[in-house]
Amino acid sequence: MNKKIYQLVIICLALCLPNVIFAENAESIIAKHIEAHGGLKNWNKVESIKVTGQFTAFSIEKDFMAYKNRSGEYYADLQLGKHQVIEAFDGKEGWTIDPWQEITYARRINTGEKNVFSQKAEILTPFFDYKEKGHKVEFVAKEKLEGLDVFVLKLTRNNGKEEKWYLDANTYLEYKCESKWVDFAQELPSETFFDDFRKVDGLVIPFFVERTFWQRDRLMQIENVEINPTFDNKLLDMPKREEIKKLAFLEGKWDVKMEAMSRRGTWRSMGQTLSTIDFASTSVLQEKIKVERTFPINITLSYTYNDNCGKYRISLLEDLSSSFEVFEGDFSDNIFVFDNAGEKMATFTQFTLSDIGDEGFTLTRRISRDQGKTWQDRDKFTYTRSE
Amino acid sequence: MSEDWTQFRGPSRSGISAEKITDANATDPMPELVWKKDIGCAFSEITISGDKLYTTLSEKTDSLSGWEYMAAFDAKTGNELWRNKIDSIFIDKDDFGDGPRSTPLISKDAIFSFSSYGKLTAHSKTDGKQLWQVDFIKEFGSTTPRWGFSSSPVMVDGVLIIEAGGTEERAFTAFDPTNGKLLWAKGKGNASYCSPLVAEIDGQTQIIFANQRTLSSYNSKGEVLWSFAMKMNGPTSMPTLVDANKIFVSTVRSSGFIVVEVKGNTVTELLKAPTMKNDYSSTLYYDGHFYGFNVAALQCISAETGEKKWTKRGFGKGSLILVGDKLLVLSDKGQLIQVKATPDVYTEQRRFQAIQGKSWTAPSFVNGKLYLRNQTEMACYKFN
Repeated sequence: MNKKIYQLVIICLALCLPNVIFAENAESIIAKHIEAHGGLKNWNKVESIKVTGQFTAFSIEKDFMAYKNRSGEYYADLQLGKHQVIEAFDGKEGWTIDPWQEITYARRINTGEKNVFSQKAEILTPFFDYKEKGHKVEFVAKEKLEGLDVFVLKLTRNNGKEEKWYLDANTYLEYKCESKWVDFAQELPSETFFDDFRKVDGLVIPFFVERTFWQRDRLMQIENVEINPTFDNKLLDMPKREEIKKLAFLEGKWDVKMEAMSRRGTWRSMGQTLSTIDFASTSVLQEKIKVERTFPINITLSYTYNDNCGKYRISLLEDLSSSFEVFEGDFSDNIFVFDNAGEKMATFTQFTLSDIGDEGFTLTRRISRDQGKTWQDRDKFTYTRSE
Repeated sequence: MSEDWTQFRGPSRSGISAEKITDANATDPMPELVWKKDIGCAFSEITISGDKLYTTLSEKTDSLSGWEYMAAFDAKTGNELWRNKIDSIFIDKDDFGDGPRSTPLISKDAIFSFSSYGKLTAHSKTDGKQLWQVDFIKEFGSTTPRWGFSSSPVMVDGVLIIEAGGTEERAFTAFDPTNGKLLWAKGKGNASYCSPLVAEIDGQTQIIFANQRTLSSYNSKGEVLWSFAMKMNGPTSMPTLVDANKIFVSTVRSSGFIVVEVKGNTVTELLKAPTMKNDYSSTLYYDGHFYGFNVAALQCISAETGEKKWTKRGFGKGSLILVGDKLLVLSDKGQLIQVKATPDVYTEQRRFQAIQGKSWTAPSFVNGKLYLRNQTEMACYKFN
């Protein structure tokens, strides 16, 4: 019996032994890889990095810049063909302005893009501090790649995505990486090649990075590397949509004086209420207001911009009748006018934002029963900043 | 004696010139610039016949309109001799490049151009005047591809052949070059970006089309010789002939390339490999090996096994021709690189900035002179 247990232990050890060796090999390879890049001591002094140079897409070479820091934050400004593209990532979430998607304002990135931005955010390769980052590494093999002896390492990122890295067996510097990339926000495999390693303040950095994915070819040629520049975290704030920024005067907490048009043609007080208007997202400004006439009603107004027709839009949801209406309009001479004339209803409704100032504005509701030829005032809401 | 470069990819539609270029090294003087000229945007290669160059170009009249032209130039000076309107300009909404895509074909008496909006035009060789014109959108129901009509015409047995994606099984068409009369129309498929290959196989001249997932062969009478269902879709680059009866087809969006063998009108797939994915630049075959752009990496691979012999990056999505045993590679940014065509190792002999700007058109070579063009300029360099 003891003999059988002994044999079993030997077999288990024999099965585990290669993994132990490989784990050691992965460790030693990574140690030499970091050393080849200038050494752990030097890289530990790096908090942030700024690279500038030329970025080529669709055979057009344009300036680019990218900031990244040790906590995984990343910001880049580059030109992709005819469009300027902005990328920002705080290590977990990110946004991009990428007009190739026919979205000209900042949008949040999807899961595949987060993985790409994580890759772009590495200040060295993912092997630097990989344990602290929660990545896992396995040694796969030593093999020939395009005539070069390479160590193949499998990296599993902390997000579960796998990459294959090919390190030059002579220099321990990265030669190629196979990872998931995105094209038009869709995930697909990529190959990245590294070359032209140069020393900057004792750090060895690839100045030539070429990536191919599907039929795409992207080339980054670094011209300057700045070590430990100030990383302005405000760059990571997702910018509000330009069109909606024009409505930013609405943002705040407001005291609202409510008035209704009497039959005599004079404004009659309907009391006071409170309103809060916030950016629900970078492209939606949302108002929540409670009014009471016969019954209390909660109203939610969302101010957005409709790219298709180039007009502003108010969607109005009230909770008593659960009615939902949409009004479109535009801005001229410091007055916004929205209506539902496009709906071909018997009665048109129009909202006007006027008397716009730092401390207040006026929202007037009017109706038309003759297809917009004439309008009659119905309600007036005078907003005065409360905080 | 040099052969004229009278059609897309040169005299034999293979990207190969039989002329020779002497070996060079980096310290040798660069080839002499004979002339350099501005030219309107197009992707057509420069075709050459005698002392004249023929190519297409475009000019905008405002931001939304303009014209595509067939033009002739003096080969010695690059001076324009004549130009003639062939169609409205194709304006690429993504700014990748406006104007014609297809390379004109030069015959003994005429020139044949194909516009981005599908007009096949015969021109007088002397002054470019229109002899006849066929409008594929109007007359054949063809649909303009996303990037414009791109296939280049070919002449076989005195018959003018073009792939233009006509409806009702009129994808591939043949015309009498003297009068534009339709001789036959066959085959299904929308207009592709691919140009037909011509090969002499089993004693018969075959016109081979790679359209969507189908590789098909016709003789000049329009008889179908064979058809083969490819497990790949939409090649853009032109197929390459290998050892008289084998055909290489590659697509960038697929898993790589195939080599098929044609024997007695029976087609057998010999090789399938991921090592060469051509986008718009075609691969050439030389001495048992393929040389081409695997997406954006210049590569030499074995034609027998598909094994990668060497790879050189940094040229973007360039193009290449073979002159003697030298590759003349044009990078996507206008660098010209002379490379020895050997599978042993990448052997660069010289490189210089030949033209400026985005360069997606393969060079042409005649009488020791290299002719280059891109979207904004064209140039002539004297080798040897």
